[in-house]
Amino acid sequence: MGCLFLLIWSCRKTASVRPGPQPYTLELPADFPAPVYDMSQNPLTVQGVALGRRLFYDPRLSRDSTISCGFCHQQFAAFAHFDHPLSHGIDNNTGFRSVPGLFNLIWQKDFMWDGGVNHLEVQPLTPITDPNEMGEDLGRLISRLNADQQYRAMFNDAFGEGEINSQRLFRALAQFMATMNSFHSKYDSVMRKLPGAQFTPEEANGYRVFQEKCAACHKEPLFTDGSYRNNGLPYNPYLHDAGRMRITNSTGDYLKFKVPSLRNILKSPPYMHDGRFYDIFNVFDHYAEGIEQTPTIDPLVRNGIPLSVSEKRELYFFLNTLTDHTFINSKALSEILIDN
Amino acid sequence: MKPKALLYIFFMLLMACKKEKQEQGTLQLTFTNVVNGAALTLNTASYTNAAGEAFTVSAFRYYISNITLVRMDNSEVKLADTYFLVDESKPASRTLQVMAPRGEYRAFSFLLGVDSVRNVSGAQTGALDPVNGMFWSWNSGYIMAKMEGTSPASAAAGQALTFHIGGFRGEYNAVRRISLVSPISLTVAADRKPDVTIKADLYTWFSLPNQVQFAQTATIHVPGEDAWKISENYSNMFRITSVTDL
Repeated sequence: MGCLFLLIWSCRKTASVRPGPQPYTLELPADFPAPVYDMSQNPLTVQGVALGRRLFYDPRLSRDSTISCGFCHQQFAAFAHFDHPLSHGIDNNTGFRSVPGLFNLIWQKDFMWDGGVNHLEVQPLTPITDPNEMGEDLGRLISRLNADQQYRAMFNDAFGEGEINSQRLFRALAQFMATMNSFHSKYDSVMRKLPGAQFTPEEANGYRVFQEKCAACHKEPLFTDGSYRNNGLPYNPYLHDAGRMRITNSTGDYLKFKVPSLRNILKSPPYMHDGRFYDIFNVFDHYAEGIEQTPTIDPLVRNGIPLSVSEKRELYFFLNTLTDHTFINSKALSEILIDN
Repeated sequence: MKPKALLYIFFMLLMACKKEKQEQGTLQLTFTNVVNGAALTLNTASYTNAAGEAFTVSAFRYYISNITLVRMDNSEVKLADTYFLVDESKPASRTLQVMAPRGEYRAFSFLLGVDSVRNVSGAQTGALDPVNGMFWSWNSGYIMAKMEGTSPASAAAGQALTFHIGGFRGEYNAVRRISLVSPISLTVAADRKPDVTIKADLYTWFSLPNQVQFAQTATIHVPGEDAWKISENYSNMFRITSVTDL
């Protein structure tokens, strides 16, 4: 009788224990290089990714609860800020650079236009604490999350019982960001020789123009080589932006900025680190005839990149094949309404 | 294998485990922050730097990590990765409990700062949690040591002094290895826990070899040459003032 009671009791106990976090299977393209972000240190789980998504769309991460990460990083613009040349923040503040699109971040070795941030996990610290963006104090934010019953439960489900600390916050956000990957564009289908996938003659011509004139910096398949270059943009006297020199203190890095990926480029205007060009044809015109000569100018653009009218048109059609509709319409990444 | 042999192996394993545990003891490092020999009092006390400028201190913090002990035969024992943030405003943070193998030591060294690996390893916890205000967000990396205060000589807003010293790369690496020889040997044993009191003198930050005048330099908050020069100065910051057995 006693044994039976013990058995029942032990069964009850097991049933009341919460299931641990379930592994999240991340689909990665075989034709991409190995990711830079070491996910073995922060294994993706269903609960962790869901928590990261909630945090990404929660305006309470900002000081006055008005601005979430998703406020500036809009899915339909490949998580760039559509139509906004410079980043926006609380108190009507404006930053001094454009909002980069967010995708394929696990293949990036450093972040920001100047490469100042060296790890995916510490990237969110910048927008969260920057007075021109979300303007919040990290300690206050951690206290607020700890005071929220729902967040405590979600963090416990994702990382086990315990206080919420900044590492758990950053790792949850990193887990969600690790799922923001774009590799289902028409270009990818053509490269993978999927049935029925082929470029139109104009796209094919554009691809040839791209390979000849753009691919050295915008290297496939990520469409960036991750380097910092001075692409000959005329100096903007209002922003006084020295580019990567701000990080390295090296005059050799004056006016150098990260080579951005061209994936989803037609969905994420305006262009350049200061969002000065609203139309991709302005970008073509810049490379063709707008190069300003400065000592750190990149040798590949020093003499301009001649582009005829038809080449620009074909390039436009090719860039259009880099739009990933699966990505920008993915329900798994879309905004969730946070009912506070 | 005979059960007896198994039992023997099991016993040996147990012994090995026991031995491992027995070997550990504690070394206590107590930091006493001063300015030119006078006790450091935050906010209210006024001090004078080597250039003759008056100043007050509102914050004083630094990282201690990567501790290595030197045995009597000069062989070295690298201790487990532990990171301490000594913060003048938190008295408990000034006493470090360092786990160390039992033995006799003549000297030790530590990093004043955080090694390069932890500067590039993403989100950290404990002393290295960015919530401690010792991590640069816009240019990833730890502030190795920080001093804030005011000086009538400062031309910055609010006559502020802001010395955030960091940088872990290249020629302007601000991480410093500090080596201290103990005046008497340090014996870590079951019943012996040496307590080493180390004086940290903030005065050194602005004196030799790179004297700082607050009228010219009141703010450093980026890695680079200026920060590195302060790190040259603060590498002379520590002196052992006493050793006692607890």
